[in-house]
Amino acid sequence: MGLIQREIEREGIATVGISIVRDYSEKVQPPRTVALRWPFGHPLGEPGNKAQQRAVLFEALKALYRIREPGTIIDLPFRWKRESYDDYQPPTAEELSPD
Amino acid sequence: MKTFSRYKNRVLARLATGIPALANRFVAAYKPHESRGEIPWVAPAKPLREAKLALVTTAGIHHSDQPPFNMLDKDGDPSFRELDGDRLFDDFTITHDYYDHADAERDPNIIFPLEPLRELVRSKTLGSLARVHYGFMGHIDGAHIGTLIEKTAREVARRLRADQVDLVLLTPA
Repeated sequence: MGLIQREIEREGIATVGISIVRDYSEKVQPPRTVALRWPFGHPLGEPGNKAQQRAVLFEALKALYRIREPGTIIDLPFRWKRESYDDYQPPTAEELSPD
Repeated sequence: MKTFSRYKNRVLARLATGIPALANRFVAAYKPHESRGEIPWVAPAKPLREAKLALVTTAGIHHSDQPPFNMLDKDGDPSFRELDGDRLFDDFTITHDYYDHADAERDPNIIFPLEPLRELVRSKTLGSLARVHYGFMGHIDGAHIGTLIEKTAREVARRLRADQVDLVLLTPA
């Protein structure tokens, strides 16, 4: 996935990827990555868990705007099936804008 | 024999998805392509509320009327499918034997977050969502890596640019 991501960025489009296997991202070096230690097949979380899916999406979009160093991998703190997303604070409009 | 080989992969996928220690062994066995040289980089030019975003996935999801990805080639399949966001969730298939996609079939947003993205457009957090997205199947190895980099991924990048997409989110299996 990281190889595809690099080609898209090379074309002039800013990208961010969600990774479940941090090791692959470390070797392939995509421009921006958010990493989770979740089971395969669940990058946005559990079926029907809208609050969770929304939180992961927001974190990926925040990373898109806030990562400065190419190749950065941000480890998200969300634990599989043991997290409540009720108090999740989405990023502000400023955080989702270029500097 | 070929059917048995696919069946075996899917059983292993289901086990690997459920048992982290087993998943780690499969992960260790696959040697990803190590990139060299500079990391491509472009800063987002527009705030999210003005930007157009598209999805690219390697989870193997596609429209049911499209040809499936080739699961018999041990080096994977570097081809892509063009995905129409307006009709994908009405009728889709997942062709990928290396992960258990029962949950993704139940709620495809977990591999392809169209509905959460539509919510962001409604709330004016995101400018717009592209109608056309792209799907690959992950687990690409050997000679297909060259094809991916030089042909198929590059073609998708060109099409995204022609569609004036500003941002791309990529999701794995």
